[in-house]
Amino acid sequence: MLSLARAAGLVALVTAVGLLALNAAYVAGRSGAALDPAAWGRVLGATQFGAVWLLRTGVLLLLTALLWAREREDSTADWAALRGESWLLAAVGAGALAWAGHAAAVEADGGAALGADLLHLVAAGVWLGALGPLHLLLRAASRPEGADARPYAVLAARRFSRIALLAMLGLVATGLWNAWEQLGDIPSLLGTRYGWLLLLKVALLVPILALAAVNRSRLVPALPGDAETVGRPAMARLARFVAAEWTLALAILAVVAVLGATPPGKHEAPWWPLNFRLSWDAVAAIPGVRTRVLIGGQIVVVGVLGLIVAVLLARARALAALAGVALVTIGLWVALPPLSVDAYPTTYRRTTVPYQASSIAHGEALYRSHCVLCHGPAGWGDGPAGGGLPKKPADLTAPHTAQHTAGDMYWWLTHGIPASGMPAFSAVLGEDDRWDLINYIRGLASGEQGRMLSATIEPNRPRIGAPDAAFAVGPAPSRTLKDFRGVKTVLLVLYSLPGSASRMATLARAYETLQALGTEVIAVPLDRGGSPIAGLGGNPPVYYPVVTEGAEEIAQAYGLFRRNLSPEGMKPDPSMPAHMEFLIDRAGYLRARWITGEPGASWAEIPALMAEIQALNRETPAAPPAEHVH
Amino acid sequence: MRLWRAVLLLNLALGLGLLMGFLAWGRPLGEARREVAELRGQAVTPGVERVFRARGVVRAIVPEINVIVLSHEDIAGFMPPMTMGFRAQDPKLYDGVKVGDVLAFTLRGVPPNVVITELRKEGTL
Repeated sequence: MLSLARAAGLVALVTAVGLLALNAAYVAGRSGAALDPAAWGRVLGATQFGAVWLLRTGVLLLLTALLWAREREDSTADWAALRGESWLLAAVGAGALAWAGHAAAVEADGGAALGADLLHLVAAGVWLGALGPLHLLLRAASRPEGADARPYAVLAARRFSRIALLAMLGLVATGLWNAWEQLGDIPSLLGTRYGWLLLLKVALLVPILALAAVNRSRLVPALPGDAETVGRPAMARLARFVAAEWTLALAILAVVAVLGATPPGKHEAPWWPLNFRLSWDAVAAIPGVRTRVLIGGQIVVVGVLGLIVAVLLARARALAALAGVALVTIGLWVALPPLSVDAYPTTYRRTTVPYQASSIAHGEALYRSHCVLCHGPAGWGDGPAGGGLPKKPADLTAPHTAQHTAGDMYWWLTHGIPASGMPAFSAVLGEDDRWDLINYIRGLASGEQGRMLSATIEPNRPRIGAPDAAFAVGPAPSRTLKDFRGVKTVLLVLYSLPGSASRMATLARAYETLQALGTEVIAVPLDRGGSPIAGLGGNPPVYYPVVTEGAEEIAQAYGLFRRNLSPEGMKPDPSMPAHMEFLIDRAGYLRARWITGEPGASWAEIPALMAEIQALNRETPAAPPAEHVH
Repeated sequence: MRLWRAVLLLNLALGLGLLMGFLAWGRPLGEARREVAELRGQAVTPGVERVFRARGVVRAIVPEINVIVLSHEDIAGFMPPMTMGFRAQDPKLYDGVKVGDVLAFTLRGVPPNVVITELRKEGTL
């Protein structure tokens, strides 16, 4: 047993040197650096991996030296000290790896992730390290000439059974927690390489747990039985099962090695492998869905109760279990189909281009040249060329767009919808272009939703996420609307001169008051060319930011919200009003809009505007709008 | 030699090593971080005359109190970008300057009491 541990110590040291060489080559970016002492020095001195490596290798050196030192164990204290120290050094050596892994890179909750990783590593070391020697002991003791070793083997098997249960519980708990930290959601589990490797790991773990269950419940209790008929055959079988567990565990280690070199799932775009997905949000609004899901859910609950009864009950166990399984199946069959929505490989792709004015403006240009013929100027699916297609082009502003993720739209844009006549644009539009189009379509749909916006806010009902926008005032560095989130409400004023001159002067006089209410006024000139700041003049002095860079994009993006319920606003492509004001709350939602001359409430009098701002100030802050559509 | 004594000594040495390592690197590192943070906080050394150069756009001119309001870019080592008023060393400096003009300007003085000593018009916004 001691020689085994000694050999393991040497293996650990040799592989540590190999690992350092590989890392040096990886950091330097050339294979020659693997043997270059200078590269080794850089890795050791300047990286976290290097620091962890030094600590680990130092501890392993000590451990190996301790194991190789042929000291006599004169007393119980010696015996305990040698084993305790070996255990401590081994645990430090295994646990130190936590600082070199993905968990160390998790920013939020770094301490908890490190702790979980540490526990995971130590538990894995305890379990895996004991399996091999246990197998050797059991095999030796199950032979006829190993009768002397049998009592020890029985004792060891019992002790291992207890420790392994603890270690396995710890492994599963910390493993689940880590997996959640590194994946974040189901699509990452099913759709990324990291997720697949994790599933493979779990798949390898299932037979291990089955073997362990048989060992614990049947074989270990049988060990002290009659040597010839019960005890020895059980021990031989246990030895084989432990060997099988060990082999599977080594396979898991191989998977872990690959995992370590794979970027965690949450950093990758998931590739959804199924042609459907389950989503409550997408279908909750469809009539009948709620009832069906509710009924199905109740049946599942009854079924689960049946299964619990089956576990507790001694008699009629099979019957209760059967009924439970049947009920769960029926319940799922009732509840799940209405929740399923068509899905595509890119369904859970996250947009790489933020929902921002510049992207929307670019998307609009692309829409005008590629989409407007069939989908129409307002996205209603009423374009002149749409009539001859096998299927009427989709109304891009309809509420059912809620059933589709941005990733779905990305798929259709990329591959087309052959049955309906929608062409594929992968050859025409680059990836970013497609996301720009999707952002524009989101803007179109939001603009349609924004028809009911007025100069009066709906308290506590934020609905429409305001597109972000970058802007600059003269030589000052550019800022974004997002910078004001959680800080200030924003009054975005789209104006044109000379019509807006008196309004802009009124706002200039009220600026100090508005600022005191926590509102920033941002003026966006609609006229192209000219000198916006000089044009507003110096009397009264204008201190609110006047956008000199980015104004055109903001005008285009927020122009999508010019649609209202007036006859002009109901046209597919209504004319751009000369003056519009938008109130954006602290969470980043578009809450109110005033178009000069529209009937109803008006902000012409500053106190009316202040009343709306104060209503926003009284609200409890909402969560910021989603970065992508669902 | 008794083994357990050796092990005890070994652990003592390890603990001592960790402690010394922390004293040698951990503590100075923490102190260095604190110093950097402090230096960032007070980038301006008090009592010394300084010169800053930056660009800004004129938002208002108030000759009665000799103030010119600028939306300016970051003034390195003094203040982040913002809109604020500056006094001119000589009111004649802003003769002919209008709202909307982009200026390259020089500030001179003992912070926070600085005045515009030079300005050059670069264009109009």
